[in-house]
Amino acid sequence: MEGRGYRRTGLVLALLWFFLSIFPLYFVLVTAFKPPLAVSQGPTYIPWVDFQPTLQAFRDAFAGLRGDFWAPIVSSVLVSITATALAVLLGAMAAYALVRFEFRIRLLAGVIFAIIAIGGFLLLHGLWGMRVPYALGIVLVVALVVSVLANRLPLPGPVMGNDDVTFWFVSQRIFPPIVSAFALYLLYTEVNKLGLRLTDSFPGLVLAYTAFGLPFAVWLMRDFLATVPVEVEEAALVDNIGRFRIFFGVVLPMARPGLVATSMIVLAFIWNEFLFALLLTSGKWQTLPILLAGQNSSRGDEWWAIAVAALFSIAPMVVVATILGRMMRSGLLTGSIK
Amino acid sequence: MTAAAARRDRIKHAFLWPAFLLVLLISLFPLIYALTVSFQTMRIVPPTPPRFVGVQNYAEILQSARFWGSMWTTAVITVLSVILQYVLGFALALALHHNVPGSSLYRVTFLLPMFLAPVGVALIARMIFHPYLGPVNDLMRAIGVGNVPFLTEPNLAMAVLIIVEVWQWTPFVTLLMLAGLQSLPQEVFEAARVDNISAWRRFRDITFPMLLPISVAVVFIRLIEGFKVIDTVFVLTGGGPGISTETLTLFAYNEGFKKFNIGMTSALSFTFLVVVVVFGTIYLALAQRLTRRYA
Repeated sequence: MEGRGYRRTGLVLALLWFFLSIFPLYFVLVTAFKPPLAVSQGPTYIPWVDFQPTLQAFRDAFAGLRGDFWAPIVSSVLVSITATALAVLLGAMAAYALVRFEFRIRLLAGVIFAIIAIGGFLLLHGLWGMRVPYALGIVLVVALVVSVLANRLPLPGPVMGNDDVTFWFVSQRIFPPIVSAFALYLLYTEVNKLGLRLTDSFPGLVLAYTAFGLPFAVWLMRDFLATVPVEVEEAALVDNIGRFRIFFGVVLPMARPGLVATSMIVLAFIWNEFLFALLLTSGKWQTLPILLAGQNSSRGDEWWAIAVAALFSIAPMVVVATILGRMMRSGLLTGSIK
Repeated sequence: MTAAAARRDRIKHAFLWPAFLLVLLISLFPLIYALTVSFQTMRIVPPTPPRFVGVQNYAEILQSARFWGSMWTTAVITVLSVILQYVLGFALALALHHNVPGSSLYRVTFLLPMFLAPVGVALIARMIFHPYLGPVNDLMRAIGVGNVPFLTEPNLAMAVLIIVEVWQWTPFVTLLMLAGLQSLPQEVFEAARVDNISAWRRFRDITFPMLLPISVAVVFIRLIEGFKVIDTVFVLTGGGPGISTETLTLFAYNEGFKKFNIGMTSALSFTFLVVVVVFGTIYLALAQRLTRRYA
């Protein structure tokens, strides 16, 4: 008997939440088709009853009547697709290495790396006044070579394994993004001075977003690739087929659902990302979220125009959510989340 | 491992290094430079040559009322919204798990909010909560409360920010808790049902403790993510009225891009990093103790 009470409460809650999730989206959808009067005279809800729908807002937007509308869409599409593809490719490769091979990294080698990197930079930039990008570049190479060699020596102290490497990737997400975004902004401006333009440029954005998407890609792909049976690969190895051919020809095709799911999630994060775009772009390569954030001050109460812009940001994500929702029902995602 | 096998395994580096190098180069190496900048005064407008000032930036931050204000704002928004997200999200997951009528319909729609750009969500919220033209105040007028100045009164503005966060991220909690519920062994529940243990006690004594580890993880992720919030605030209130809803990230951004005080922004972002690490460690330590008591 009491079970029925809970059931009813659950149903009411689910219905209420359903309504609350859908209503704002419905409202923005109909607002895009409203004539100005249907906005400025108080809220209206039902097309053809409350107001006569019009396509004027879409026409204005595409005609570029108030600022360029196409440029942010094009830059968002180019940047997020390129960066997602790169992040998922590199992430899947790294995840494969972490699933199939064993890595042993001595903590002391990591410490040596950090000391050389920070100390060397202070020396080159602080004392000798070397340009920041050069100093960082030299320090990176030296620190890497020394610590890789040091890792071969039987140094004392704990040894870290594959899980620690994975955690290293994922821990990038614990950082407040303002830390790395701002640091990257500083570095990009320094590189700009050398004549290689990175702020407000396609390569600069793609690099930043690929690094931003990589932690998710490594983390998710590791779980997906772990489910691919190893026997097929072993058979191929016996036939002396190279690892890269096995990876691209056998492993990746077998992990296709996981690849699709990971790409969707990474794509959603990059498509919606705001802070990096805010700091690293200033005009030409501004992305959709930046356009959206600007709507507020530039359009005021021109809701029909704002709604059109919002719809362009939302529409691709509706597709993404639907695909993921389907996959979730087939049990694919629930397995990986654990 | 034989020498031949070790040589064959060398290919593993070709797989791992591209990703490793990229993260190192883009996410970590700039931090070294930013760290040195945080000990300097450096301005873009008017351009002043960098000058080493030691910990002066950090001292200034710790004495600034605005910093503590933004810290408080961030903490209130994050903690309250995560509590609401967890309670609502868990309840929804339970409802979906027990297949309330129409649950297949909700499964797609309830995923949607978390895939939308927070900037876009904030724009929609601005319409919904508009003092004269928004549907919420339309409802308020209909039930006789009258117009509520949602975005211009500090406490109400905070409430709206929390509502937006809850709206967008409850689905995330639901998604993970649902996955957790589906992974629980069914036998325990059947045994409990046979023993005529009430639904509430089944939840309190079986479901909740068994889902405690995943709950800890979900709440942790949401706290960390919530602490970073800037986009919603940027669009919805701009930190206002005044600076009453200014979060840490927004404060750091304003310092750097409105006052062009680069050294200060660097110092702020590192202070922020320390705050996150300290609170994260405290949370994990407490959570571990809680989990152990139940286990």
